[in-house]
Amino acid sequence: MAERRADVTWSGDLLSGSGTIDSVGSGAFGPLDVTWPARSEDASGGKTSPEELVAAAHATCFSMAFAGGLAKAGHAPERLSTSATVTFVPGTGITKIALSVRGVVPGMAAAAFREAAEAAKVGCPVSQALAAVPEITLDAQLEG
Amino acid sequence: MPRIERQAAVVWEGNVARGSGSLTALSTGAFAELPFSLPSRLAVTQGKTSPEELLAAAHGGCLSMSLAGELTRAGFPPERLDVTVNIVMDEVPDQGHLVVGSEVDVTARVPGIDDADFAAAVEAADAGCSFSALIRASASVTVRAHLEAS
Repeated sequence: MAERRADVTWSGDLLSGSGTIDSVGSGAFGPLDVTWPARSEDASGGKTSPEELVAAAHATCFSMAFAGGLAKAGHAPERLSTSATVTFVPGTGITKIALSVRGVVPGMAAAAFREAAEAAKVGCPVSQALAAVPEITLDAQLEG
Repeated sequence: MPRIERQAAVVWEGNVARGSGSLTALSTGAFAELPFSLPSRLAVTQGKTSPEELLAAAHGGCLSMSLAGELTRAGFPPERLDVTVNIVMDEVPDQGHLVVGSEVDVTARVPGIDDADFAAAVEAADAGCSFSALIRASASVTVRAHLEAS
């Protein structure tokens, strides 16, 4: 079992107040500022948001599951470049996550690559935790 | 309704057991090139973040904003909310590693509010935090909250 922790402080009301992700258990990042305007408008002002952190969680989880699946099939990747784009509609929530991956995988056929990517999309723990998101898409392509 | 997009990018090199990854917040630049790996995800963190830690941070951000909104709507804007989120991942027979729970702890300083109004705001905030609802579809979400003397 693995437990991972984050500490957040908020001061004031929602619209004019502000928050800080003070620290995380690993110490890997923080403090990071968060506000409602930065979350709910196109211009983030350089501030992260819950949805950006979900994108980060999904991209990291998918990449590991995909690397694991490829290695199990005998083709450990040289390099996987993954992006996750989360669409957030204020008042509704997360409506879509778009995963995109480009892989350098010596000796791998394109069809098998896409199949392994699809399995990682379904099987990674964050995908399972976020299975209630209405739409999760995947674009997987081999490079080089 | 506006549609807001936020994007993160990852580069991974090598197999899963010994390879390593690097994470960047593309939309905002709020963080860049954070390292992560499988051993640090499952065992000692060694200063590296993980998908589950990022989920904990996301849930904490979502719930704190939702609660600030509910308290303000009830006429009691909070002076300060301290929110801790613990995401638990476990190995489930036949299913591998799954996120099984998110445990949220809130300590709040809210001038003038009574226990009943506070409890109602916490419940509404949990119901209104879209991330709580997402996680609850496949795992448990518990929210414990208490008022601090202001």
